[in-house]
Amino acid sequence: MLIRIQDAHKQYPMGEGTVHALQGVSLEVERGEYVAIMGPSGSGKSTLMHLIGCLDRPDSGRYWLDGAPVEDLSDEELSALRNRKVAFVFQAFNLIPQLSVIENVEVPLVYRGTDAEERTRRAERVLASVGLSPRREHKPSELSGGERQRVAIARALVAEPDLILADEPTGNLDTRTGAEVMALLGELNRAGTTIVMVTHDIENARRAKRLVQMRDGRIERELSGAEKESLVRRYEAVAGVGTEAVP
Amino acid sequence: MRNSEDVRIGLRSILAHKLRSILTTLGVVFGVAGLVSMLSIAEGARREAIEQIRLLGTNSIRVNQLVLTGEAREEADRKGSDGLSPGDVRLLQYALPNLRGIAPLRFVEEPVLVKNREATGRVVATNADYSGVTGFRPAVGRFVSELDLANAKRVAVLGAGAKQELFGFRNPLGQRLRIGDSWFTVIGMMEEKHVQSGRSSVIQLRDLNKDIYIPLTTAQARFASEAGVGIHEVAIQVEDAEQVVATAEIVRRLLERAHRNVSDFEIVVPSQLLAQAQQTQRVFNIVIGSIAAISLLVGGIGIMNIMLTTVTERTREIGVRRALGATRAAILRQFLVETLLMSAAGGLAGILLGAAMARGINAFAGWQTVISLESTAVAFLVAAALGVAFGLYPARRAALMDPIAALRFE
Repeated sequence: MLIRIQDAHKQYPMGEGTVHALQGVSLEVERGEYVAIMGPSGSGKSTLMHLIGCLDRPDSGRYWLDGAPVEDLSDEELSALRNRKVAFVFQAFNLIPQLSVIENVEVPLVYRGTDAEERTRRAERVLASVGLSPRREHKPSELSGGERQRVAIARALVAEPDLILADEPTGNLDTRTGAEVMALLGELNRAGTTIVMVTHDIENARRAKRLVQMRDGRIERELSGAEKESLVRRYEAVAGVGTEAVP
Repeated sequence: MRNSEDVRIGLRSILAHKLRSILTTLGVVFGVAGLVSMLSIAEGARREAIEQIRLLGTNSIRVNQLVLTGEAREEADRKGSDGLSPGDVRLLQYALPNLRGIAPLRFVEEPVLVKNREATGRVVATNADYSGVTGFRPAVGRFVSELDLANAKRVAVLGAGAKQELFGFRNPLGQRLRIGDSWFTVIGMMEEKHVQSGRSSVIQLRDLNKDIYIPLTTAQARFASEAGVGIHEVAIQVEDAEQVVATAEIVRRLLERAHRNVSDFEIVVPSQLLAQAQQTQRVFNIVIGSIAAISLLVGGIGIMNIMLTTVTERTREIGVRRALGATRAAILRQFLVETLLMSAAGGLAGILLGAAMARGINAFAGWQTVISLESTAVAFLVAAALGVAFGLYPARRAALMDPIAALRFE
């Protein structure tokens, strides 16, 4: 079991009141799974994502990542855990603008203390695997959106993480490049990487093997196999293919 | 994460905003430049003081003859004072208890010739004490002796420069030279005194190396002018430095009485003049030092301001780095190193500018300036410390950011 969350609660102060972002979420994800988390804005999916990514700790409840309890870890230990186990792919790519493509890819290894030669070697290898070797010295601003997201995926891959967390990975891309990026993620999953993806896009969700629907800080339902397919088809019938759909 | 990595990242980000980085470091540049030039002036003054003390001695007193004109001259004539005389020297010799030596000096205005070569220095007639009083020793041969004085011998001791002018590289000992109409035998040559030329000096020193010394009695016998056999200068050395001021006061009173209150002499205490000069310099140092300090402070605040802006601008980057596994300490270090690089670069530029300023001060004001390794190191360390002091707050702010909020930052 890679991810095991038990009855996680999380709340934030917001203006006068508090936002109950998670109200008792329990989730288990096996190694090698491909999970999509869907839900309307404010349903708690981002908070769940941050929790899974060790960017945050639950107020109550328990979380084991690859068997290690996360909720008691210090900030420093969480940083180390993120570095070794988790990789993020963001909607806004989040490349560091002043670094070149290859330097961006090397960043996770820098914080791991890998020496420069080894870093370059590994970064070159993953850049080749996403087809961006010719762009290695370019700045992110010189790349197209699809290329940027591929760099971000290369950056995620270089760390050889147990888990890739993708937050709306195609949100800033056109349909064609979005499909390319999704194909790349699909390949990675087939090669054994666990992927948890937050998305609004029913087409993306379709590629996942399991669909988790959230509402009001709780997991409303989990679907897989035929159930998932029928749900997806229903949305397609209502909203049309590839449209953003909010169940 | 290694330090070299921090340095590389820091340089990247500094170079990404070249103009901004340059403007930011200007305050530090000027502050450090002020500091360096101030320290170089202070060091120059210190060395100058040491050199003058070496040349004149801390426990020496000089009495100079003043040339009187007009009414003062008439008053002096009426009162019956005819300036410094051998009598004054004898008076001081008897009256002062703690004398180590007293040397009257009389400058003889006569040409000095060896064949067709002429010396440009002065002929100084003095006694045997001179060498001891001034600490200026013969390198070859001997100085004027009591016996030379008693017999008014025609012997001469050459300064190293005068020897060079008159004899080139030949050995001058036993050679003859002509002063005015008389022939003298060279009996010695003085050691060379290193006197830096072109520097300001609180005490006017002539180039001792060009002096030619002859016995006072010989000068009195052969080169007496119509003004008599007066003394132009008296060099006095007392037992120790603490007695200098008191002794100078006694000398003044004795001479005033002997000269019937005619002010035809002045007493110079080199150590006091040096102290005065150093006092002036100290005020100057405080002024420049304050300007440098204010400039450094403003520079530091400037750096802090820019770093706060940078941290805000790069909130996203901080969030991304945290998500990719950077610890708070790594973020702190990253921004601290960046500040440190800027302030260190500013420090280096400031040292160069300060050195140039010191040169300029030397060229235009004539003050001696010395850029020492210590002052450079101090200036650099101050700049670096500034970087740490003013970089810490922005860096801490970056490190303590909530990674989730930082990632959401637009």
